[in-house]
Amino acid sequence: MSPTPYPITGFAMCNAIGSNRHQVRQSLFDGRSGLGASPIDLPFDTLVGAVDMALPKLPPALEGWTTRSTQIAAHLLEDLAAELDRLRDRWRPDRIAVLLGTSTGGADATESAYRHYLSTGSLPNDYDLFRHHTFGAILHVVRELSGASGPSWMVSTACTSSAKPLATAQRLISAGAIDAAIVGGIDTLCSMTLHGFRSLDALSKGVCRPFCADRDGLNIGEGGAFLLVERSGDPVALLEGVGESSDAYHISAPHPEGLGARLAMERALEQAGCSASSVGHVNAHGTGTRLNDVSEAAAIEEIFGREVPVISSKGYTGHMLGAAGAGEVAMAIVTLMEGWIPGSLGAAPIDEKIEIRINETRLDERVRRVVSNSFAFGGNNISVVIGAPT
Amino acid sequence: MMAEVAVLGCGAFVPGFDGLSGWASGKPSTEHDTPKAEIVPLRQRRRSSLLSKALADAYADALAESELDPSSVASVFGSAIGEASTMVGLLDQMWSDAAMLSPMRFATSVHNAASGMVSIATENRGITTAMGADHDTPAMALLEGFGLALAKGESVVVCCGDEAPPEDLVPEGVGWTLMTAAIVLCPASRAPASSPRLSEIAITPANLQLPKADPPPPMLDSIRRNPNIGLLDLVVAIQRGIDGVLSLDQGAGRGYSIRLAGSAR
Repeated sequence: MSPTPYPITGFAMCNAIGSNRHQVRQSLFDGRSGLGASPIDLPFDTLVGAVDMALPKLPPALEGWTTRSTQIAAHLLEDLAAELDRLRDRWRPDRIAVLLGTSTGGADATESAYRHYLSTGSLPNDYDLFRHHTFGAILHVVRELSGASGPSWMVSTACTSSAKPLATAQRLISAGAIDAAIVGGIDTLCSMTLHGFRSLDALSKGVCRPFCADRDGLNIGEGGAFLLVERSGDPVALLEGVGESSDAYHISAPHPEGLGARLAMERALEQAGCSASSVGHVNAHGTGTRLNDVSEAAAIEEIFGREVPVISSKGYTGHMLGAAGAGEVAMAIVTLMEGWIPGSLGAAPIDEKIEIRINETRLDERVRRVVSNSFAFGGNNISVVIGAPT
Repeated sequence: MMAEVAVLGCGAFVPGFDGLSGWASGKPSTEHDTPKAEIVPLRQRRRSSLLSKALADAYADALAESELDPSSVASVFGSAIGEASTMVGLLDQMWSDAAMLSPMRFATSVHNAASGMVSIATENRGITTAMGADHDTPAMALLEGFGLALAKGESVVVCCGDEAPPEDLVPEGVGWTLMTAAIVLCPASRAPASSPRLSEIAITPANLQLPKADPPPPMLDSIRRNPNIGLLDLVVAIQRGIDGVLSLDQGAGRGYSIRLAGSAR
């Protein structure tokens, strides 16, 4: 199937290298990492990618829903205010969907509340599972602040969470259920994920170095990105194809030959109706773990050969988990708009087993089409083809 | 309202009842208090949560009725709170016991634990997703399923459920008890001749003035509070061959309903 590409008509993001898309663009251009000390007390050493900015207060009517996730959502919507005005003028509110993704949701708020419970025997007075923990809380705040009243749900497939809503938006527009969608996702730092990735021996002791011979794991990051996808409109980029697959192999380890990754990329290209040779750049999942980078590189090589420039943005922001998919699609749009491809921080010296072209420093090259990969626990995979407006 | 899709299979797990038919008939069975998750290999099953196993049972029953190939159907797993109990267990391990977390328990604490487990067990390399929308979870999971069926021509299992929320996190009387339900959808024009065609359904955000479906069987309040009760009501209504409109939420959601075109058996 090769549907008409749908326009992405606006986007906003915040993460460890910037509180808005312009700052993120500058950090990518400068090759500046945002990784640093963890704001969460931990009994071990690791660097994280924290969002370092004053987040907005929610309006009084939504104050009871205040969490770090909902504040990040409010910030992204503020950044998209002009585009949302136009969106609301163009489409009926009930035809605008809110399709987001997260892996942590309100876990950080529940962690705080549960810690309070363990020390005092009671939850904080203002804690409410449905206002602070569940996905509906973020959805409610986004609907209220954006004016969108169409279908809304949160995808939660670990590290593919915020890329999968792009596929959903495409399908719902194609099926005639909606005309537009606010798509993307948010994840925040929390103790359990940091401890959990440590238990998997997946955390880097320093700065993560995707594709490097000396890589020793990942850094956890946080952030968010929202994109507006419409049935028609004036695009900043085109959502050309999305491919989804499952490894059917292991709950937390990737398929060793990257089978699921390859299927996702092939399906994305097939849906976009384009050849691998028309893709000018791949924004890899590239976590910096020993297993992921080798299997993903093998899959990329099989499809695109050894010449397409590949980067991982994890050295800038850390692995934003549920926010990584949308965040990296947003970065892919930046490369299409700017006419350069950022360097893959920390990649040199590149692992000898990795024979694709890792872009070690910024490359001034205008490309027309980018593939962005996200892979997750459960063997869940997604690849997104983003094109420059024609 | 979106176009209609065909229903090819239904399933459910409710503790104390023998699957969907046991629940719909209202006859309790002490042999079915816990999910068996026989679709999942034993080693994987041992590491799975109660919720994942209960979702796997509903999924397996619905898929078996559809007679579709388990390795080729898409799937949507919906849950309002997902693996919240696993998370609380991990927090206890981390803070009360000051211990290193169990890597396997952490890996299965994700919302898509059941989705991953089932795709591995059935060697399915197709599309699977996991989602949540509080009390609109069944309605939104069905919409995701409709999208897959109508836009991609996929047969899809929509499987929703929640276990009881961790009692430390909710006030008394607010929680619910475990239930899961599943339904197999297919584009009406593509339903395989070998599969049963149980009904045709369409989803609507409005409360249409159409005849209401028969009320569901009497149930315990604690099950009716489960955010996924709408999907259980729906599969019971389909099994009974009902025509009419059925609300997917019990007042806490956003008013989505399903129109059933009756029995196509």
